[in-house]
Amino acid sequence: MRTLVFLAAIATGGVAYASGPLPAEGPCANTTNLPNPVYIQCGDTQANLMLNLGRALRANNPPITLIWVTAPSCNNIDLTYNGGKIGDGNASGGGTTAKMSYVPSVAQDATWQPSDGAATCDLAGPTTPDLTNSALYNTACTTMPPPSNVNAVIGPKQAYVLAEPRGNAQIAITAEEAYFLFGYGPMILASMNAALEPWTDMGSLFIRKIGTSTLLAWAANLGMSDASKFKGTPEASSLAVVGALENASMPTAAIGLLGAEVYDTLRDRLQVLAYRTYHQYAAYYPDSTATSRDKKNLRDGHYTVWSPTEWMDFVNGPTPLNPYARYVLDLISGLDVTDTGLAAPAFDAQAIVAAVGLVPDCAMRVKRDFEGGPLAMYTPPESCTCKYESVVDVSTCATCNASTPCASGVCRNGYCEEF
Amino acid sequence: MRSLIIVAMLTGACGSTGNAPKDAAVPTDAAVGGPDASCFMPPLTTNDEIINACTTAQKIYLNPSLPLLNADGTVPPLP
Repeated sequence: MRTLVFLAAIATGGVAYASGPLPAEGPCANTTNLPNPVYIQCGDTQANLMLNLGRALRANNPPITLIWVTAPSCNNIDLTYNGGKIGDGNASGGGTTAKMSYVPSVAQDATWQPSDGAATCDLAGPTTPDLTNSALYNTACTTMPPPSNVNAVIGPKQAYVLAEPRGNAQIAITAEEAYFLFGYGPMILASMNAALEPWTDMGSLFIRKIGTSTLLAWAANLGMSDASKFKGTPEASSLAVVGALENASMPTAAIGLLGAEVYDTLRDRLQVLAYRTYHQYAAYYPDSTATSRDKKNLRDGHYTVWSPTEWMDFVNGPTPLNPYARYVLDLISGLDVTDTGLAAPAFDAQAIVAAVGLVPDCAMRVKRDFEGGPLAMYTPPESCTCKYESVVDVSTCATCNASTPCASGVCRNGYCEEF
Repeated sequence: MRSLIIVAMLTGACGSTGNAPKDAAVPTDAAVGGPDASCFMPPLTTNDEIINACTTAQKIYLNPSLPLLNADGTVPPLP
């Protein structure tokens, strides 16, 4: 019985075409069925990455099993910085959860797809994580620097969006509108003769709980220094926001906060508002158009509501405590994995990162130093823009190989990159 | 609230005359350059230049009526 199929199908945007029963729930510590485990606590916006990367890693040499649970980013940082354990009963450790998610191997389910959802296993007891994640700058949650036993790496970037039920007439919103809507709330606005049509129903604003990257990113970008003043119904998960939007009693008034990679799998059911930030002349989507998937406006600075993902593993001096965790961190972050002593994968991890809606650093042309901070131009060490665009959309770059060199630029991954 | 929404699909949009249509609404918060300001061409050095850089991306111009804005176009503190 795959209890998670329905929710996972929502997460991956597809109908749950169950390819077969997921493996029966058993202990996570079964290293025969779940070899080389990497225990992860990450933000729930990273669930699609876990599903897709998790499947590839099960077939990797060596095989690696991602075993994850999701929790708000600030909880994950707290867990990491303070030596907490998953399932230790504290909020930072995912509460009292004893169930973790993982992706079955080909041997366990040959036809598994991400839309089938994750299998689950049981923790034997509170477990020290190997790898953790926040989906925003850690400094948005704490002023503390990472402790000396934590290796924190800035990973791919992700956009946050304001979503609404598909078919709504609204197509854009300004920062000022969003500030008033979520900072004052429809009731106060109405009482001040400042109602914002069509967002006039307090019960139709679906937000996330304090400590989640989605809420904190929007608060920072709107200039709300106190995120606790965000008005709306705090939903327990991104999927709960999706459900609330789809089942809203007043669909035309419904609006909710989501990570773009959550939305990207649900485009047939939701739509996002273009957003105009302060001092900007026009509103833009994260992508170059409402229907493209190129994240062009995130990458060049026209869409400003984005955050980095930060990935953290544990070290003893310069040495990672779990080389498999470092391997996964390096893969996600686009770093060289061979320093772990393990072979490079036979699959393209950055293509997976791009396909789930995240933007690798090498495709970025702007940067910021803190959550919601001003943008500055950025030049990564090596560009992967052509390759990135080939994965998410269509690349207009020239192709190249050993016998067909580039007229200009650098031949990398089959494309003539700018540098 | 939306007295005017203009969706502009501009290809090769930015010329010396800027990317705002002649009849574009006046952005209430456009602190740099005003409603007829051109988009910015490289080199881009400031945040405001970057967010208003010339682009072929889809643009949506808005002119919301927001009576609670301060006189200078900024937002007031939250209640």
